[in-house]
Amino acid sequence: MKLSRNAIGWLNTIPLLAVLIPFFVVPILVVLMASFMQTDGFGGMFMDFTLSNYAGIFTSSLTYSLYYETIKFAVLTLIFSSVIGFWVAYFLVFHVRNPLIAMGLFLVCTVPFWTSNIIRMISWIPLLGKEGLINRALLELGLINHPLEFLLYSSFAVVVAYVHQLTIFMIVPIFNSMARIDKRIIEAALDAGASRLDIMRLIILPMSKSGIALGAIFVVSIVMGDFFVVKVMSGGGSASVVGAFYEDVGVLQYPNAAASAVVLTVLVMLMVALILRIVNIRREIAR
Amino acid sequence: MTNAPSVQTVNPARPRKRRSSGDRPWTFYVLASLFALYVLALYGPMISIYILSFQDVRGGLVFPMRGFSFYWFNELVMQTRAGDVAGAFKRSICLAALVTVITVVFSFMAGMAFRRRFRGDTIVFYMMIGSLVAPGLVLGIGIGLGFQMLGIPTNWYTSALGAQLSWTLPFGILVMFAVMSRLNGNWEEAARDLGATPAQTTRLVVLPILAPGLVAVALFGFTLSYDEFARTLQTAGSQNTLPLEIWSMTLNVTSPVLYALGTVSTIVSFVIIGISLGMIVLLQRRIAARKSGNQ
Amino acid sequence: MESRVSKGKGDIELAGVAKSYDERTYAVDGINLKIPDGAYCCLLGPSGCGKSTILRMIAGHEDPTVGEILIGGEDVVGLDPVARRTAMMFQSYALFPHLSVRDNVAFSLRVKGMSKAERDRRTEEMMEKVQILEFADRIPSQLSGGQQQRVALARAAITEPRVLLLDEPLSALDEHLRLKMRAELSRMQRALGITFIHVTHTQLEAIALADMVVVMDKGVIRQAGSAREIYAAPKDRYVAEFIGGQNVISGRVRGLGASGARLEGSAFPSVDIPIHAGRRLEDGQSIDIAIRRDEINLLRPGQAGLPGGTTGVEGAIVGVEYQGNFVKVLMNAAGEDEFVAYVPERRFFEDDFHVGDRVFAAWQVEHAHLLV
Repeated sequence: MKLSRNAIGWLNTIPLLAVLIPFFVVPILVVLMASFMQTDGFGGMFMDFTLSNYAGIFTSSLTYSLYYETIKFAVLTLIFSSVIGFWVAYFLVFHVRNPLIAMGLFLVCTVPFWTSNIIRMISWIPLLGKEGLINRALLELGLINHPLEFLLYSSFAVVVAYVHQLTIFMIVPIFNSMARIDKRIIEAALDAGASRLDIMRLIILPMSKSGIALGAIFVVSIVMGDFFVVKVMSGGGSASVVGAFYEDVGVLQYPNAAASAVVLTVLVMLMVALILRIVNIRREIAR
Repeated sequence: MTNAPSVQTVNPARPRKRRSSGDRPWTFYVLASLFALYVLALYGPMISIYILSFQDVRGGLVFPMRGFSFYWFNELVMQTRAGDVAGAFKRSICLAALVTVITVVFSFMAGMAFRRRFRGDTIVFYMMIGSLVAPGLVLGIGIGLGFQMLGIPTNWYTSALGAQLSWTLPFGILVMFAVMSRLNGNWEEAARDLGATPAQTTRLVVLPILAPGLVAVALFGFTLSYDEFARTLQTAGSQNTLPLEIWSMTLNVTSPVLYALGTVSTIVSFVIIGISLGMIVLLQRRIAARKSGNQ
Repeated sequence: MESRVSKGKGDIELAGVAKSYDERTYAVDGINLKIPDGAYCCLLGPSGCGKSTILRMIAGHEDPTVGEILIGGEDVVGLDPVARRTAMMFQSYALFPHLSVRDNVAFSLRVKGMSKAERDRRTEEMMEKVQILEFADRIPSQLSGGQQQRVALARAAITEPRVLLLDEPLSALDEHLRLKMRAELSRMQRALGITFIHVTHTQLEAIALADMVVVMDKGVIRQAGSAREIYAAPKDRYVAEFIGGQNVISGRVRGLGASGARLEGSAFPSVDIPIHAGRRLEDGQSIDIAIRRDEINLLRPGQAGLPGGTTGVEGAIVGVEYQGNFVKVLMNAAGEDEFVAYVPERRFFEDDFHVGDRVFAAWQVEHAHLLV
């Protein structure tokens, strides 16, 4: 018996849906539902439709400063990781002439991805700390008289840790899209009298944008959903949306947490939708 | 005679400046330095904690290195101050293995489905993207609450497994997309033409051709699971996985035990990569053996 | 040696076959075609004319929207490729990249569940026949284009098909190899004694190989016949121009007589045309005629004495291309398209023409061929 194209498509996606529905769709609905519930203050919830949880969020100035902090980190990380990621990928694809060496260097960039993020984060402590290597070196050189305080347990440290963790998410997709650019196109552009700046602006940048977009989706969604790096690396100096939400959960304020979670999820989805509007990822990847 | 001009073009004495291999544009040096700095920043911190984990009992969290011993590793194993690290290790590896197998199989199937348009494919695609980008902790809490409502206890091999799959599967499928763009539909048609059933086509043609890509998906699945934190935090139940164990240590422990744990977990990661790469090499050897043997 | 290979009926009949992907436009639009058993048939047309779709429908990789496909007298629509006993040689061959030449050739026997000993024996035999034994243990990426083609041929032929379908089999090869492999295809077809259906967009390929050429355009057949028929007696302007080697000029019929008529064009005064038996012409009717480029004689205008039974047009030479055994002379005469004469090399250099020269292109009246 011949199955129709639609039937084959759905049969093959059943396992995926069997995971996504109970572990993505339903949990999101549960959180959404909880956000309209009331709490007895001891972890119990009862169904009594209310918007007070949302009202609480939108009237609190704390919310706005939390979102400001989190979005600030997301944007800073996005800028640094995309700039570094773009140029590293560009270097590997267009400047390293031996493809074997390029592949080797690419692997060098990806190896840390296979190690623990948390370990990679705390590994900055011996470097950035007050008695860390960097401060020591600067003191030895006489460039500073007192150790720099802002290196660790600060916004600076948070951004460093994020960029350290997430640049790889930029390099891989950008490398992938750049590697598909036919080198003859660039030669043709050179023949047509294009300068190297023109080539960058008119050929390489547009043709790598799907990679940049894919990387941006990873970076934005990971930073927006993180609380751990902020907590450890800021030394308590900065808070994050998810961090506050985690505190709420800790004190069993589920409905409040749920409302804040819904707002955050909607915001992240909107940001991703914006990126997807700019680039048709599905078509680009399968190209 | 008509060939003469083309002979001229390779003459190095031509007045026009030609770029020889030693003559690279200035951007090369700028970017090479950037690359070197990036690699240094990538590896420097990690290497420093690996070094610091080999201090002796006087060791602290920062340089200089105080003595050399395996004291902190011993400490780690003894679990005196480190909690149930060994158990967490075991659970994390079992969980990651489970996630890997499921991710490979399901991603392969979904990847095959997405090669062609089918009604509703866009919905499935966006659901997948949604699952990928949803804040992990939010999803974790949702799953935890859901299990609570249904009266099922959360556990690393049930709720945490599902929670991790909601992240590794979309990732694996995105990798599958890239891998499958190189799978030419003609091969399957040729197999059908030669009388292969769909099952035979998958087993004898599609899977062998995609094998390296599937190993890559497996590698992703394993690492993402082995390192997963946000989604697992609220879904692992009473027994911790390794990242959760490390997380509680970072909050409580301020000794090089932490670094020792980092060193050990990195070694485990590298063993896993080694095994995977070994498998790829073995697969290719087998093909190579098939083509040179059989004489 | 060929006794095992089926001499069974490989005649094909397409009856009212049409294929639409969107239910509005037709990629193949009402095809009726009979291909005799053991014929070498070429489907010829530009890309997008539906020739590959026809091939894929005969192979069973696509089903016609309407119509019947008969092989050996039975309707095969809905049957699997193997049940049809057809085999396809894919464009760029689609050899399995992970399997050795031997395993590629043995693939169909393997999926059939044939014992290893029997499989090895038959594979060996087939590889010997197409001379690929020496690289039997290489993988496809280690083979040249010509070698790959032979492997693809062996892989298809080992299924003992009654029809072999070839989708642009020579397009992946360079010019030199193309000629060599073309001869090889012809030899293989004779050796196997089965029907070959070969899709191509190269007219020279079709004419050189085929017993039967089918010229297609936009999903319909324009003309089907022997290579000689198609070349020497194209049915309409499209076929004449696609096959090439012809000058096509159009005009109106005037001065209709018993044995001939005149054709008056807008770009030339008038030429004499013959009247074919069974072709009715009317005064004032607008028709096309084709004159073979190698049957044109170039004369200096005003040169005394146009031989009897000749006619022609006058124009200026706009290009001369030396082709080795002949010279291609391009003129602006008789209409919008270039008017071309193939002049034998020796004769051209007896009195060579130059770009800009005025010439009179003459031909025997009865050599002009009336198109629809």
